Amino acid sequence: MRRVFSAIGVLVVLVIAAAGAFFFLPEGEPAAAASPKQPTGTALIERGRYLAQAADCVACHTAPGGQAYAGGLAFKLPFGTIYAPNITPDKDTGIGTWTDADFVRALHSGVGKGGEMLYPAFPYASYALMSTDDALAIKAYLFSLKPVKAKAPANTISFPYNQRYLMRAWRRLFVPDHRFRMRDGQPADVNTGAYLVEALGHCGECHTPRNMLYGLDNGQKFAGAVTQGWKAYNITSDKQAGIGAWSDDDLASYLAKGYAANHGAAAGNMGEAVDDSLSHLSKPDIRAIIAYLRTVRAKSAEADERVNPDPSAIKTSTAYAPPASEVKASPLGLTMFQSACASCHGWNGEGLEHPQAALLGSRTVNDPHGTNLLQVVLYGANRGVPGEGAAFMPAFGQAYSDVEIAAVSNYVLAHFGGKKSSITPADVAAARKAAP
Amino acid sequence: MARLKVNGQNHDVDVPPDMPLLWVLRDVVGLTGTKFGCGIAQCGACTILLDGKPVRSCVLPMAAVGSRGIITIEAVDAMPAGKKVQEAWTALEVPQCGYCQSGQIISATGLLSRNPDPGDADIDAAMAGNICRCGTYPRIRAAIKQAAKAGA
Repeated sequence: MRRVFSAIGVLVVLVIAAAGAFFFLPEGEPAAAASPKQPTGTALIERGRYLAQAADCVACHTAPGGQAYAGGLAFKLPFGTIYAPNITPDKDTGIGTWTDADFVRALHSGVGKGGEMLYPAFPYASYALMSTDDALAIKAYLFSLKPVKAKAPANTISFPYNQRYLMRAWRRLFVPDHRFRMRDGQPADVNTGAYLVEALGHCGECHTPRNMLYGLDNGQKFAGAVTQGWKAYNITSDKQAGIGAWSDDDLASYLAKGYAANHGAAAGNMGEAVDDSLSHLSKPDIRAIIAYLRTVRAKSAEADERVNPDPSAIKTSTAYAPPASEVKASPLGLTMFQSACASCHGWNGEGLEHPQAALLGSRTVNDPHGTNLLQVVLYGANRGVPGEGAAFMPAFGQAYSDVEIAAVSNYVLAHFGGKKSSITPADVAAARKAAP
Repeated sequence: MARLKVNGQNHDVDVPPDMPLLWVLRDVVGLTGTKFGCGIAQCGACTILLDGKPVRSCVLPMAAVGSRGIITIEAVDAMPAGKKVQEAWTALEVPQCGYCQSGQIISATGLLSRNPDPGDADIDAAMAGNICRCGTYPRIRAAIKQAAKAGA
């Protein structure tokens, strides 16, 4: 009997020791060296600039109105707020003292310079796939920037989420321990696109739903998810729910310019991703992304979320006037639309002011939950398409009540999407709180 | 250098592609009849006709104009509908302070060019985005109807 007890005791001690080692042994730091193929000098910095754009580092590492890459953007999470750090080469407040090995380890394993685990708001579950050459090129670019002295505010994360070592378990589950692997038998552009989408663009961080442990549920890859009030739509190859029915040219236009004829325009986080990242990519890289997206397994969606390409109210509208039946009923939503929206959007879905104002075929006006519709009405859009000038929509959240915004949203969904929706003022109030 | 076709005349302007058309018209071309109101396409004071369509020039970037023809308040009387609208406006003494009126006249001209006999609902749909601080709306509606009757 005594023997059994001591055996159990030994086992318990071993398990505790193993767990202790798993959580508390210092992180290793593999040496990081570039391959002989890596460019040098200004060519390396230029390559790093392109890759940093493809990885959209600037989107998170820049506070609203702040200097690029100087950090400070707040991420409000259910368990506290974390702030993006300064990644300019400032020695005190940035990453000026980081070695190549420090930088590569952060991207591949989510470990900070001091050996601490980083919060996965930093998408190292995607960057883990990035090649060491590319990581080092990005570092070379960041180190070519002017150092900015800017200390990000301290994180306010509650217990137990502030116990960073626990993320080692999370990493074990959700972060690949290898670099990107080419898929045999796939054309070169599909592999290039997969690398751009998975390792650099980290599209899945928004477009793939998360599981209970906040890891990406890759069984539902790119099936769409809501983050901070905005819906990242289904971008699987499904013909109705995803992008399967879009032409290559429409997809290229949407990715490079943020809008496409008969598919509407991006706003919110996707608008930002286009402006900061996708619009800077080369045409072949955009084509490669499209080639890869075409291979992502189709995931369907609720029938009422599918885009109605030909809603009846549009057919009976002109650019300047709604159908007589709507005018006769004259609901609050129509009155709102004619005074605040029609001068740019028009009534027949083509858009009066700018191609980006076209609403026909936009998923935003076809989602009966009105997720992105409420966000864009409340907070507006401010897009800068290279070569096309700014496209701007005012934020109406301060000017109109929840009752009015619910009414205009229901009207827009019915008129431009042919959708029956029942957005309530309470939904509008909730949408106001959902955005950061 | 971009070429703008304003009121039938070509203007070569050296401006950034994201400069709003209103700035170009007022500060570069020198046509100050079109007014700045809110700057966010919500008041209608800056309305111009772009290929005959009333659009808000304050949020229209230069790069989006392209080769489309622009008509501003200075030349609206060159259009048959514009001339009738202008005459009706004068006859009924529509303006009070006048600040919004170039936009009102342009929107009314756009409306009558495509719909020569608008009803009240048509007028509402076309004119609701043009705000008048003095509340001249009844006279605006009356003037549009008078212009329509005059065969605009």
